[in-house]
Amino acid sequence: MRFDVTVDGRKMSVEVASRAGRYVVTLDGTPLEVDHVATGDRFASLLVDGRSHDVGIEKRPGGYVVVLSRGAVAVELADAARGVGVPAPRTRGPTALAAPMPGRVVRVLVAPGQEVAVGAGLVVVEAMKMENELRAPRAGRVREVTAREGEAVEAGTPLVIVD
Amino acid sequence: MSTRVVDKVLVANRGEIAVRVIRACREMGIASVAVYSEADRAALHVRLADEARAIGPAPSRESYLRIDRILDAALASGAHAIHPGYGFLAENPALARACEGAGIVFIGPSSATIALMGEKTAARREAVSAGVPVVPGSFEPLAEEAAIAREAERVGFPVMLKAVAGGGGKGLRLVASPDELGSALARARSEARSAFGDDRVYVEKAIRRPRHIEVQLLADEHGNVVHLFERECSIQRRHQKLIEESPSPFVTKELRHRLGELAVRLAKRVRYCNAGTLEFLVDAEGAPFFLEMNTRLQVEHPVTEMVTGVDLVKLQIRIARGETIPFRQEELAQRGHAIECRVYAEDPQQGFLPSPGRINALRVPGGPGVRDDSGVYEGWEVPVHYDPLLSKLIAWGESREEAISRMQRAVAEYRLLGIKTTLPFFERVLRHPAFRAGEFDTSFVEAVLGAGDEREPEIEVAVAAAAIEALRERQKALRSETGVAPRSSWWQAGLAEAHRGHPG
Repeated sequence: MRFDVTVDGRKMSVEVASRAGRYVVTLDGTPLEVDHVATGDRFASLLVDGRSHDVGIEKRPGGYVVVLSRGAVAVELADAARGVGVPAPRTRGPTALAAPMPGRVVRVLVAPGQEVAVGAGLVVVEAMKMENELRAPRAGRVREVTAREGEAVEAGTPLVIVD
Repeated sequence: MSTRVVDKVLVANRGEIAVRVIRACREMGIASVAVYSEADRAALHVRLADEARAIGPAPSRESYLRIDRILDAALASGAHAIHPGYGFLAENPALARACEGAGIVFIGPSSATIALMGEKTAARREAVSAGVPVVPGSFEPLAEEAAIAREAERVGFPVMLKAVAGGGGKGLRLVASPDELGSALARARSEARSAFGDDRVYVEKAIRRPRHIEVQLLADEHGNVVHLFERECSIQRRHQKLIEESPSPFVTKELRHRLGELAVRLAKRVRYCNAGTLEFLVDAEGAPFFLEMNTRLQVEHPVTEMVTGVDLVKLQIRIARGETIPFRQEELAQRGHAIECRVYAEDPQQGFLPSPGRINALRVPGGPGVRDDSGVYEGWEVPVHYDPLLSKLIAWGESREEAISRMQRAVAEYRLLGIKTTLPFFERVLRHPAFRAGEFDTSFVEAVLGAGDEREPEIEVAVAAAAIEALRERQKALRSETGVAPRSSWWQAGLAEAHRGHPG
């Protein structure tokens, strides 16, 4: 099976084949011998060229999140045979600041039309007993403020849109 | 010798600390009663205790902060005592007072002591009378912004704005210059109001690059006071601790002796009883300044337990029963070194923003010298309503080096899927040269995060794992489409056995 893979904005071509209970994973032309054992519902042990790796793995839309001791890696996979492309991450155009967690909007610090610098506070959201100031991911002009003070928000709810 | 019967304890808390107290009760043959909000019906502490009683809806002011409901639950269940844990009502003198009035043993100091030390400006005045040095700043709460600005000018910027009723890093703001004062004051007041129902603040001079060192105390009602040495708590973010250790790599024998002596002196002056902690800031020259007293068990108490061999929660209960502390100061010693990492449901890559949600999978480390004080389990949904502390991972070693190595090993074994945690951050800190050398202060977290990481996670391994998983899923889907059942070698061996008839 062949996949077009995107990790951290980096694209690579990956082929995977099983051979007698083991796997050969070819990353951009370089083959890796992988001995894979599922060690739990969402856990696997990988021996890659004899080196042992304990990973957690979870399905996400369009790929997986693989949890290693140094952090989680989001791996987007598109089946190359089906020709499903992976959308490139947007680096230009309007950026929506979304609530990173469920909570309550305590204060809105900006108004539409206002120029903001990178790191400027936009909205204060209270979650898990802390007031968290959400900051502008980049400089720009505030196009729209959808957050309302006192309102409860879900994770992913857009709060402010910056052009 | 105990003077009061405590055979059943109600734990007026939730999460890992409720679990910790329930465990101590069980070891002592004491029955435990959990209380819970609607959001916590499935929480570990509820399921672990001998009994459990619902006390209201999810918001803590309608459940865990409701003294009337907690007292009703204690009386209805026949509990002899209430353990408040930390946070919530632990430092609210009204709960202790209500217990005193209802004939229930409060496992902690008297309501009068809690009230005195809980008012941070009053505690500062007591410290000064006991001859304990304090950080320069106000000794009375300040109401007017103008008065706060004057005091800030007097001690000199940068200053700390602090909630008079403060604790746990809430209602606390660093103010670098006069123009930041207005917004910082608003934020501190609003946080203090929602956390403590009291928005009064006071001003302290900000000590440059301080170490945060605290001293554990135990005092009984017979006038005995001992200290159980220091804990180093300088690894913080947003004034909340992330890593603690004991002993502190920074504290010399002389400073340790002095801190202990100061702590005992203040405890004796206020006739303290039960477990408590004195927090100090120590400046770059090694001069200690009293910050505040926490009249309760600390989150990080396990590091003291690991190096002294004393079970602090059990001793809290014994002291509350009227017993005498069973050892003297000279009998206490620090053996080896212990480190605690607080596993929070927070995303260290996004400024430690909360990350509530379902714990899809959980693997907890074990082995020599490793302790996991957890309040969660696999499949549980971490609610949004409360503090994001999931678990405390503690490692003990003969030396600081061994404790760090064990912690690194334990962090690498720890797997928690579904939500973001502070574990990857600990992986970075534990291999940071400054941390390993014991050379850090309270600005360390920002410095580590600002530096970027030279060691990326192994991308190839992640890609290989994902690709294999995708292939396996495809194969599984094909098998179920074609109706061919998966066959393991065990199954086939069993089938062959069956064909041959039963083995001899």
